[in-house]
Amino acid sequence: MPGLATFIIRRIILYIALFFTVIVVTFLLVHMAPGDPTYILAGQVNDPEFIKAVRHRFGLDKPLYIQLLIYIENVLRGDLGYSYFRAEPVSTLILSRIPATFLLILTAMFIASLIGITLGTIAAYKRGLADAVISLLSLIGISIPYFWLGQLMLITFSLNLNLFPTGGMISLTTSYQGIYYYLDILYHLVLPATTLAIFNIAYITRVTRGNVLDALSQDFIITAKAKGLPERRIIFRHALRNAIIPVITFIGFNTGTLLVGAIVTETIFAWPGMGSLLYSSLQLRDYPVMLGIFIYGALIVILINLIVDILYGILDPRIRRG
Amino acid sequence: MILLFHNLKKIFSNLNARLLIGILLTGVLTILGISAPLITWYPPLAAMLGPPYQPPSFQHPFGTDDLGGDIYTNTIYGIRTSLIVGALSALIALIIGILIGSVAGYHGGFLEDLLMRITDMAFIIPQFLLALIIVTILGPNIYNIILAIGVTSWPGIARMTRATTLSVKQQTFIEAAKVLGLSDIKIIFSELLPNSLPPVIPYITLQISSNILVEAGLGFLGVSDPNVPSLGMLLNNAQQHILMNVWWMSVFPGVILSLMILGFNLLGDGLIEYMNPRLRRKMY
Repeated sequence: MPGLATFIIRRIILYIALFFTVIVVTFLLVHMAPGDPTYILAGQVNDPEFIKAVRHRFGLDKPLYIQLLIYIENVLRGDLGYSYFRAEPVSTLILSRIPATFLLILTAMFIASLIGITLGTIAAYKRGLADAVISLLSLIGISIPYFWLGQLMLITFSLNLNLFPTGGMISLTTSYQGIYYYLDILYHLVLPATTLAIFNIAYITRVTRGNVLDALSQDFIITAKAKGLPERRIIFRHALRNAIIPVITFIGFNTGTLLVGAIVTETIFAWPGMGSLLYSSLQLRDYPVMLGIFIYGALIVILINLIVDILYGILDPRIRRG
Repeated sequence: MILLFHNLKKIFSNLNARLLIGILLTGVLTILGISAPLITWYPPLAAMLGPPYQPPSFQHPFGTDDLGGDIYTNTIYGIRTSLIVGALSALIALIIGILIGSVAGYHGGFLEDLLMRITDMAFIIPQFLLALIIVTILGPNIYNIILAIGVTSWPGIARMTRATTLSVKQQTFIEAAKVLGLSDIKIIFSELLPNSLPPVIPYITLQISSNILVEAGLGFLGVSDPNVPSLGMLLNNAQQHILMNVWWMSVFPGVILSLMILGFNLLGDGLIEYMNPRLRRKMY
């Protein structure tokens, strides 16, 4: 498949360029900030020896382009500096938070894809009242901000109905063993995952609906109908199958939005992932951690986009010409 | 007169439900925002206007916050902030997007490739995070917020403009303009854009809606201008006191914010349908 290889290589070049752009933009932002960049990279520490060490490590006494090269080299080695409020390397800190964030995102996306694709297909096929109701609900769903929805959930289900914990990932009062440990995590996961899922259910419903409608008007559906195939078979084997590729791509290409959604949701439920880390670093003005989360966030989004590209290239040969 | 009536009737019969509700929602909220000083009876962001954590009452229709500030006043002024930030940042996005999209579409070749790859890249970067970093580093004031949201939200508009430019470019009147010897800049501004922009308009509305969401999201994470009341700032404050079970601190600003976003989404969807009646079958 020479087409596929060329396509993937072109995308990889684009992503490498993008990652370098992200690093350069971050670097420029640090230098555009009012005041001495040393304080942004080192935190608000007033130890002259320490300041000197930071200046030396980032080459802040050298010309700008050398500084940029040093910065790029540091980032590529995974050295994003130290968090001065937690006395830990930024990379270690962020990497320790990634699993919790991924657990939240994957759970939410699993629920959202399942429900969203089902609802979108029903809306496109049934039309009429079902379509009107589903479409209206999905429009409302994409209009409610994650962070407010989360607060509503917390106020309703935790504070007033006492059904779910108010936050965190594990119970602090009792320590569960074995299977109960995981069930405890699952119990804590319900509200944040639902919050994150609702917006995505609405979005995926809209996308699926549009794509299934497109697919239903294609010639091969008319052929299938003319052949007298049962409706169920037409929807699942023909229409949905063709409509699902753009839906998958859509989900993949929206990783950035998802990541941001997870970050905001984590803040509400004190879910110990990248979002909670970002929130606390924002309040402490812990710049190295903030910049680190941006760089890691970009890297995650790039890698997922690359995976989606490869899947897409395999599933839909037409794209390779693009 | 009869002709005017006939035309009005025609316009109204073409309006769809979503467009109407969208116009109504955004219209009412805009009026509320503009008339904020007239319909509130406390100064915005003031503290000690009553006892803290008071549930809604006649003096304080949306209750009071942790410092005894009036949530109703701050919410109404917050509408203003959301609309201003949403519209101005969308304007910045529009200028950048149209410039990149129309030059790419019109020029073609290497320049188009380059500009569209840049657009692809800007699309993939987590725009919210970038805006967040820009505002935090440059300082959280309203101008930096508008700027940061504007410069991170243009790729969608650029893609749309390029797509419409590509189709308008094929038309004979563009060819005629070229034959007449008009300069590229003149062709782009006086021939191309007036014809390629109208289909982009609904997407501007959707851009405003998404920019309002970003502004509120920044505010929710505590990145807002401390001197300007905003819905995000109110929700951030609600979050900090959420375990006190003071639901009114979250519910009222949140309802207003959701209605505003819903309004602009309806307006955008409605406009898309209004401008492409053939899509009607596909829309709800």
